[in-house]
Amino acid sequence: MSATGSVGGTARREPHAPEATLGRKADYLHADSTLRSWFLTTDHKRIAILYLTSITGFFVIGAVAAGVVRLALIVPNGAIMTNDTYNKAFTIHGVVMVWFFLIPSIPATFGNFLIPLMIGAKDLAFPKLNLTSWYVFMAGAFFTLVSLVLGGVDTGWTFYAPLSTAFSNTWVLPALIGVTIVGFSSILTGLNFVVTIHTMRAPGMTWFKLPIFVWAHYATSLIFLLATPVITTALILLIMERGFHIGVFDPAYGGDPVLFQHLFWFYSHPAVYIMVLPGMGVISEIVPAFAQKKLFGYRFVAYASIGLASVTFFVWGHHMFVNGQSDLASLVFSALSFAVAVPSAVKVYNWTATIHKGSLRLDTPMLYAMGYIGLFVLGGLTGLYLATLAINQHIHATYFVVAHFHYIMVGGTVLAFLGGLHFWWPKFTGRMYSEPWGRVSAVLIFLGFNVTFFPQFILGYLGMPRRYATYPAEFQLLNVLSSAGATILAAGYIFPMLYLVYSLWFGRKAPANPWNAKGLEWETGSPPPKHNFLSPPEVPRIPYDYPIQAQESQDQHG
Amino acid sequence: MSEGLADGVGVARAGHFETVGQQRAAATLGIWAWLITELLLFSALFLVALITRILHPEATVAAAKHLKFWIGATNTVVLICSSLTMSMAIEFSRIGWQRAMVRAMLATAALGSLFLVLKGYEYYADWDEHMMPFLSNRPFALAETPPARLFVNLYYVATILHAAHLFTGIALLLGMTWMAAKAGFLSRHQNWIEVYGLYWHFIDLVWILAFPILYVVNR
Amino acid sequence: MRNPLATLSADERALLRRRLRTPVLTFLALLALLAVNVTLGATLPFAQVWIVELLVVAVMVALILLVSMEVIHEPPLVRLFSGLGFFWVAIMFGMTLTDYLAR
Repeated sequence: MSATGSVGGTARREPHAPEATLGRKADYLHADSTLRSWFLTTDHKRIAILYLTSITGFFVIGAVAAGVVRLALIVPNGAIMTNDTYNKAFTIHGVVMVWFFLIPSIPATFGNFLIPLMIGAKDLAFPKLNLTSWYVFMAGAFFTLVSLVLGGVDTGWTFYAPLSTAFSNTWVLPALIGVTIVGFSSILTGLNFVVTIHTMRAPGMTWFKLPIFVWAHYATSLIFLLATPVITTALILLIMERGFHIGVFDPAYGGDPVLFQHLFWFYSHPAVYIMVLPGMGVISEIVPAFAQKKLFGYRFVAYASIGLASVTFFVWGHHMFVNGQSDLASLVFSALSFAVAVPSAVKVYNWTATIHKGSLRLDTPMLYAMGYIGLFVLGGLTGLYLATLAINQHIHATYFVVAHFHYIMVGGTVLAFLGGLHFWWPKFTGRMYSEPWGRVSAVLIFLGFNVTFFPQFILGYLGMPRRYATYPAEFQLLNVLSSAGATILAAGYIFPMLYLVYSLWFGRKAPANPWNAKGLEWETGSPPPKHNFLSPPEVPRIPYDYPIQAQESQDQHG
Repeated sequence: MSEGLADGVGVARAGHFETVGQQRAAATLGIWAWLITELLLFSALFLVALITRILHPEATVAAAKHLKFWIGATNTVVLICSSLTMSMAIEFSRIGWQRAMVRAMLATAALGSLFLVLKGYEYYADWDEHMMPFLSNRPFALAETPPARLFVNLYYVATILHAAHLFTGIALLLGMTWMAAKAGFLSRHQNWIEVYGLYWHFIDLVWILAFPILYVVNR
Repeated sequence: MRNPLATLSADERALLRRRLRTPVLTFLALLALLAVNVTLGATLPFAQVWIVELLVVAVMVALILLVSMEVIHEPPLVRLFSGLGFFWVAIMFGMTLTDYLAR
């Protein structure tokens, strides 16, 4: 137990802490303070902060729309608002959360900030392109948001033809154009990451010394590059279909709406892994730090990231089992979908094996990480139900699906986002947040989330379809429960916004490495200097060189 | 491709790179990553063309026979010529013949523009023959076979998307030529020519794919 | 206008010839392959001619990638990237056709 003893207690919080570096002329936050120095910056750290602020705004908008949806569903007869308003609200929620929050969330913020630090580089390979990507993102997102709010769109985030092309009377066209534009920002970010990880690593930083966070972002960036252009084409065709009736998705001329779904899901299923993989990267950093233990099965976790990014391109048809695609296609897509479980399980087993016999400290980031693991398992396993052809017939397009993907997207990605935000907050801002408030919020979010979404599994299994404004009266109890959970969840979201902002001015100044964590980003100041490292960083012998190694925990066991 | 560079030709290192070699490698990898996205962008359209052919073989053949085969073929020759002049520009940049390089770049831009002019004429001929089904006020020549509309419209989406890439390419090329004509350009930014050349060749490659897929194999 | 080639020295001409040999040969090869395809397209000698046409296109694409875009001289990573997109296109076509060819 000697290894655990030396790192326990308060000594761990500030181990051999160098002096806080916040406020020095050298750090990136204080290097320059004009508005121009922010909006024309090419510093990856500042661009990350630009992204962080904007996507937080989008998260709030998406969350308010979710609140409106849950409000409407308190009563079964749809009396609270018109069906039109309800449709527009769930579309705002879906479009904003998927396209403007979840997809850029972790890569554009933490990835942007941390990848150069973690690999020991001064910046990303193409800093101007990086800034461009933010402006492209804001332009597209603003365009779509204006059309969602002023005109309203009622197609849901998937924009399925022919509803979006022939039947909807809402502002679909500008919304589509905005989403298309946002795709380019994803491509630019992914391209920058791929090139940076290949060419900008510090001398000695070999692939198998990279943190899993970097591996996960590499895999994500490949998906950005390989999948996003296809949704661009699909959306262009949709825009042409709506604007000029070109006919390729229109059955009246012999076109095939299912073809849109193929193109759409060729991107949008891999996009699930754009949203999930970076979160897995975050968890792979938090868990070893708060167990003070080397990540178990490092190579397997790294390979699993690449594996997930590849397998995910072979399974999109599981979104289309009941839409008339061929039986052969359904069979093939169903069988391949089960393969996704393998790399996912590899990750979960390795995180739990890392926790096992570690020297655990349940600080806020770790609470989020533990919540993530549990919810991801539930979300992932229910995915297997949905991938099963016969069961899918029963629960397709019901609240079971809604609950399933919220367990992955919220229980997974949002918890990882919040966990990562707390973990690296000292690094980003140079300030410590309030730990007690952090823990209270983490627990609130976990509870609120489960109260909101677990009842939806039951509702879906009982047969309540998604996207309807009304439902049979016997479903009311579970719906009210779900809406009540949403208020707890909302409270859990509001607290961090308050205490994190408060900490910017009143928080304790953070040392360079408040968690005694490993990784090059902790070797530099909090916040880091403008060019990341004052002297070239020394690349460690092995990644995750924590006091406890798997070998030691086996010895203790024996 | 740093081998075979003449004296005084090279790349000035930007601050965030450690070496010029690293900077060149990043630029080359970056353009290839971008070209992957271009390939998938167009391939999705080619996939739609294939599905259209599978679902409606007769209508697709009827539509394809109406396309201006000879203009398409001529345009392919034009782009193959422009690929040659682009390759020449790259070689001239490597041996430091700046004037020759600038002329080869201008020739490339001229050939690209010729392609667009021919394309414009082709659209005019299509319009003349009532082959613009997306125009609601002009009856479609093949209106009796509704699915023919799918392939013809797809032809417009694909060729306009390609023309947009070519137009952007010409604009970038002219801007770069203006800079490349200045003294000292080749000692600081020689690899811009190489990176741009990859883009130009790839836009040609997309047309080399689009021409047979749209005009030839469905005849 | 004076012929610029006339001002070149013998060494410079040799350099030019050496440097431009590959681009010019590629150019001629591409034109020849295009001529084959245009002839086939214009005459339609037999029903399955599209197979031949697509094979010719594949050769043209390979020529541009390997020679014009100099992939054969690039390090393995760039070679991998130049093929990656095509592999993914194959996934997209293959998996979509499991639907359309089996309906």
